[in-house]
Amino acid sequence: MAISPDFGPLYPIVSFAAIVLVTWIIARSLSAIIGRLFSRVAPLLAIHAKRIAWVSIWSIGIIFALEQLGLRIDLLLLIVGLLGAAAIVANVDTLRNLSSKYFSDAYVPFKVGDLIKVCGQSGKVIEINPMSTILLTENEELVSIPNSIFLREIVVNATPHVWKEVAIPIVIDSRIDLAEFESEVIKSCNKLRLHLDERFPPIITVKSREPKSTSLVLTLMIKDPDRKEGIISEVNLRVAEIIERMGRKRR
Amino acid sequence: MPPLRICVNSQTPLVRFNITPEELARRYGKLRTPLDLGHLTEGRDYQFTPGGVTRMVFPLIKRMLREGILEDAHWVSLNPTGPEEVQADGITLHHVSLARERMRGYGYVKELIWGIVHGIPLDLGSAAQILWQDEFSDYTYYNRLSAERIIRLDRRHDFDVFYIHDFQQLPIGSMLRTLKPKVFRWHIPFDASMIPKGWRELLSIYFNSYDMVIVSCKKYLEALKAFGYAGEARYVYPYIDPSPYAKPTEVEIAELCRGLGIREGDRVVLVVARLDPMKGQDRAIRAIAAVAEEIPNVKLLLVGDGSFSSSRQGIGLSKAERWAGELRALAKGLGVEDRVIFAGHLAQDQLNAAYARCDLTVLPSIREGFGLVVIESWLYGKPAIVTSKAGVAELIEDGRNGLLFDPDDPIDLADKISLLLLDRERARVLGENGLATSKRCLIDRGVMEESEIILGMV
Repeated sequence: MAISPDFGPLYPIVSFAAIVLVTWIIARSLSAIIGRLFSRVAPLLAIHAKRIAWVSIWSIGIIFALEQLGLRIDLLLLIVGLLGAAAIVANVDTLRNLSSKYFSDAYVPFKVGDLIKVCGQSGKVIEINPMSTILLTENEELVSIPNSIFLREIVVNATPHVWKEVAIPIVIDSRIDLAEFESEVIKSCNKLRLHLDERFPPIITVKSREPKSTSLVLTLMIKDPDRKEGIISEVNLRVAEIIERMGRKRR
Repeated sequence: MPPLRICVNSQTPLVRFNITPEELARRYGKLRTPLDLGHLTEGRDYQFTPGGVTRMVFPLIKRMLREGILEDAHWVSLNPTGPEEVQADGITLHHVSLARERMRGYGYVKELIWGIVHGIPLDLGSAAQILWQDEFSDYTYYNRLSAERIIRLDRRHDFDVFYIHDFQQLPIGSMLRTLKPKVFRWHIPFDASMIPKGWRELLSIYFNSYDMVIVSCKKYLEALKAFGYAGEARYVYPYIDPSPYAKPTEVEIAELCRGLGIREGDRVVLVVARLDPMKGQDRAIRAIAAVAEEIPNVKLLLVGDGSFSSSRQGIGLSKAERWAGELRALAKGLGVEDRVIFAGHLAQDQLNAAYARCDLTVLPSIREGFGLVVIESWLYGKPAIVTSKAGVAELIEDGRNGLLFDPDDPIDLADKISLLLLDRERARVLGENGLATSKRCLIDRGVMEESEIILGMV
């Protein structure tokens, strides 16, 4: 006979807390596993996959947890669903722009500072916010392009050398010696020089510093666009190895 | 405007230490950090590094502190043998250290860049390859190390402006992720035609990471703009603080002459430059050999030793020793070894005596960023014969306040030396006019112009 602890009237609350805790552990572990699996080959994909896994696990976890408190989940889901549908109908344009921003971050080939042409407008991208992308035209006018446009319309990026540029985001532990890491990455990338534009050696830029991590971007200029994916994956692999090696050395 | 906090960065440190921090601790006991330079003995424990850093940047920062333009100054530089932090005249010096293997790679790259920019004939194809060699990662490593030190200091001191000096530090601007003003001072010649094609894009990225670039003369400014630098740029003639250039006593001059074997009737041609092939001492020796046929009592006094890069305390490149050997062999080969005096490094009082004693000075460099020694010689009313490939040539009206010559033509130089040695009146007038011109390169004007630029940016 199984013996279960008797929590009396506190049982639903204890169950709720336990499910939240288990959800937190699963979400964290799964995010870490996904991060490790994808970070070597596609860091950007890892970020998206982690986000999706995190939201899904927490959604399921919260539903189970609320059920323990005696709430009617079917009714709750119906209310949330109706409210959600109403919010979507009311803010369809906003959501379209927000989701476009989410996807365009990953798939539209331009960034702040690039010269682009879209829908008969052209200018330098000076801001990409959740709703729109702001262009500064040659006449010094500001043009706001809703982000949803970028998934529907043809976008021309007229920045010089833009097709060559490969920007690889890297996150390192802030305890790693940045100068040493940069030097190792440069040396490692030098071995791929046959496929890189000789006028542009690899450059590492610091994007942000957090107490625990430093975000970097490694910029390479490739010679042949057909090899872009191969080079990105090779460089990611090399960078991951350097991070691992330096992490081991530090430990 | 409230006084500013500045962070200066240069490769060359203000002071070289003759002993290690451990030896210093043994000699003086436990020393506080930052170590106060005032507690040490100049000459025995340390010496000021000869060159622009000591003659120009140091007086500038001191003066700006004294005049209340600055309230705090920190200076980051490479100094493998120095203590980590040193206090000198209100300026905190922060020293970056590099391991020997890194130093070798770094030194190789920076010498190559320096040589290319100064027009030393190298295979430009192989020069471009340097960007892809492991040595270049050492060059980047050193710059990143300096940039990280500056960033840490900025968190502590919240600087208003960053002032980065010389070509070795060019990548620093792109490594400092800050919106605060970054000023870069390029001290060496700038001639776009000297820069290999393969370097242009990278140099352009580096230059354009600064908010302001200062070069040493009008000609370099035009070249920089033509090169594609899109930001703000100015030229400020380098400058010196005239106060250390005092009139020496007769005793001091006599002592110097005795030590160097200069006799009373000797006609002395002075060259003040570090021992480096680019400084063209060989041209001066060849010219003296020709002059000696006409003026037998002529003496060539070569003052200067190696740079920080050549020094034991620095990068340890043996360029100066090699060059000194070649120069001695050349003098011997031309039969003028008894007319060429290698004085080495002279202390300020001795240098003043040398200027006062000489008949004229020569700046024989193959290419020279500016040439402050010409200004020094003008302070003593001495006429100067100046290479046309120096920045200071812009200030010379040929025949009025100096004479210009082609550094590839030693006969032209010899003729001009003879002309001034034989025509004392002409030499006097050139020296007098030079003295008047020197005011354009004194610290008062330099502080005014540089402060204007810095204050304009903040």
